[in-house]
Amino acid sequence: MMKPLEGIRIADFTVHAAGPFCTHMLSQLGAECIKVETALRPDIFRKPHAVYGRLGPASFDQVASNKLSIRINLKHPKGVDLARRLVAVSDVVAESFRPGVMQRLGLDYDAIREIKQDIVMLSVSSSGQTGPDRHFAGYAPLFGAWGGLGYLTGFSDGPPVEMRHVMDHSVGLNAAMATVAALLRRRLTGQGCHVDVAAREVASSYIGEALLMASVGDEVGRMGNEDHRRAPHGLYLTSEDDRWISVAVGSQAEWMSLLQVMGRDDLASDGRFASEQARQSNRSDLDAIVSAWSITQVAEDAASAMQAAGVPAHVSWTAADIATDPHLRQRGAIVDVREPDGRTRAAVGPPVRLPDCPGIGIDRGTPALGEHEDYVFGEVLRIGRAEYAELVEQQAIY
Amino acid sequence: MAIEPPLSGIKVVEHASGVAAAYAGRLFTAMGAETVMVEPTAGSPLRREPPFFGTTPDQSALFAYLGAGKRSVALDLMLDAYRDALDALLADAHVLIDDTAMGDRVAIGLGADRIRRDHPDIVHVSVLPFGAAGDKAGWRGEEINLVHAGGEGFLLPNGLSADLFPDRPPVKIAGHFAEMQGGVAAVLGALSALWTGKGQFVDTSVQDANVAVGAFAIQRYGDGSLEHRHHRSFRYGGVIECSDGFVELLTLEERQWQALVKLIGEPAWAMDEALSDPAERSARGREINEAIRSWARRQQVAELVARAQALGVPMAPYNAPSDVLADPHVKARGLFAAVELADVGGVPMLTAPFRFGEAPLVIRSGPPELGADQDLLGAASKARQARRAEGR
Repeated sequence: MMKPLEGIRIADFTVHAAGPFCTHMLSQLGAECIKVETALRPDIFRKPHAVYGRLGPASFDQVASNKLSIRINLKHPKGVDLARRLVAVSDVVAESFRPGVMQRLGLDYDAIREIKQDIVMLSVSSSGQTGPDRHFAGYAPLFGAWGGLGYLTGFSDGPPVEMRHVMDHSVGLNAAMATVAALLRRRLTGQGCHVDVAAREVASSYIGEALLMASVGDEVGRMGNEDHRRAPHGLYLTSEDDRWISVAVGSQAEWMSLLQVMGRDDLASDGRFASEQARQSNRSDLDAIVSAWSITQVAEDAASAMQAAGVPAHVSWTAADIATDPHLRQRGAIVDVREPDGRTRAAVGPPVRLPDCPGIGIDRGTPALGEHEDYVFGEVLRIGRAEYAELVEQQAIY
Repeated sequence: MAIEPPLSGIKVVEHASGVAAAYAGRLFTAMGAETVMVEPTAGSPLRREPPFFGTTPDQSALFAYLGAGKRSVALDLMLDAYRDALDALLADAHVLIDDTAMGDRVAIGLGADRIRRDHPDIVHVSVLPFGAAGDKAGWRGEEINLVHAGGEGFLLPNGLSADLFPDRPPVKIAGHFAEMQGGVAAVLGALSALWTGKGQFVDTSVQDANVAVGAFAIQRYGDGSLEHRHHRSFRYGGVIECSDGFVELLTLEERQWQALVKLIGEPAWAMDEALSDPAERSARGREINEAIRSWARRQQVAELVARAQALGVPMAPYNAPSDVLADPHVKARGLFAAVELADVGGVPMLTAPFRFGEAPLVIRSGPPELGADQDLLGAASKARQARRAEGR
């Protein structure tokens, strides 16, 4: 079977992280994704940002992989005209500007549905397309802060914790899913629609239970690594430097198994740990007991021993562990991508496996700005050589 | 204007004991699908998962969130008679979501080969901590294990919390963030499979989904540097304490920095010509942040954020859950639906963080009582018998 979304074409106006990750995921599932950029103002993630304290660009290579790159100068009227021609042959228009920008360009949903009646438009923004805060600027840490997820994350005696790129990419993953849902609806009803993904609402969607608790006056606070029910539960240092194992004991059977793995059967009849409630009440004693054992252990061996005994455990993995892990590579969750300059780098594959569609994943690395104009302008939009040269000359293609 | 939700008419059978699979079903429900939970006769373990409303463990807020809008049938899948009832439900469904451990699937009739043989048109979505294939397919994983197997666990906290507690272990993201990434990925896979029009197996690994959203650290590794929570804080900005709470501040663009200087009243230190160079700002980040932090302690959150956003400085308040509920923007958007919970009363239920037009999606009810929709089984069996009689 082909890639599942083969035949879907996306006109991709997204920038930053969340929107481009969304269309990147859809491209890995087979959609043809045409990334629209301009040399006037390249995607700000193509360039480095000193506030991060590093000189290289951020996640651009990953999320630009698999995409076709064309230049359109949307500040030029003929550039907007080109964008409209691209919309006319696309199934999805994706954008992640602040609400209002697409209107100013004449490319808002009402305008583009005049061009293509059943278009699916995806807008990813910090606060959504409606409401008093719709114009607010935001990045991942702000989404987490607004949505409540940042407030709830952190040690109980410390401050909130900022969400980073996983927050952006999680917004993109939600957006990719909603886009496919909108396409299914189009197939059934013949109607397009405007998909509105609000990043701060995505942050809130992960704390649904805490929001319900707050609504009845029972506010849940920051819990660090603690769990409402499970104990021992947390991160335990091993004999290796900065190498931690996560352990979560959620049943009597798991507790007994952990005692066996730790060689601490003497605690099996200890009243302090005899029930879930007792373990929860005495969790700081438990942390001390598990830590005393873990500090003597080699991390991966300890995690494997616990898993073999049925105890949920995993080493706190670094990017190096992930990029080189045989299980993840076997599954295609981690792949090597060859860049046009011949360099190979690790990248993430599709977020889910479809064994009947084995072709899903990354076919190409990062496109150069405007690399695919022969195909897109020439073959897809049927723009002749002379007209193309003229549009370049006029800097509508720039 | 309200539009028909995108998945109206889609029928989902969910057999879930964990958050990831249940959240997948919840997303389907919010998008208009009819989701039937197949629960063991003792009820889904999620019904017994805290936090609870009140002190008695009979009303889980987590289950209320995950189970809202769904239907429930109670079936003991170890009994053949109930297996027939399951088959009748599946005969009518487009999607099956299951998170049974690999080793237990065949015994309850949920093996992949069996489902493919008897229900060739169904999209069979497996949701497991480490997936259905590969060396670790049998591994178990709770939220804290999965956030660390996916890479983000090791990288938190950073910023202010890392400054305050450099020697503490990493800290997890609150709630069930990692498992919910698995749920979203499962639905993306399921909908992609539905798009092909062909029944098939979808193999979701919560770890894979988290590795995907952790793409940034993988790219950095490929580019030759290893991210660490102690080194990746913003050079300035981040979590900032005010007199009555915390705000988040992040300026990426030059104009945002300039607006920030205005916001803090153009003090002499910030007017230093050298700071117009972003590299210089990065190098002197600690000094800048000390000045911002001491200034911010005299500010109040709501007023400060309003002024910042008006000037174009990206800033947001660290909202507690109760702040989210009271937020005028959230109210104007109608993110929460009024839902009645037995023994608890009316509560605001988050619908979904996306919509398909101006109107929000709809969740009409809280979670069903165990077996509340048992009559679906009779109806499904009758329909199946009728189809058989007609030779279909």
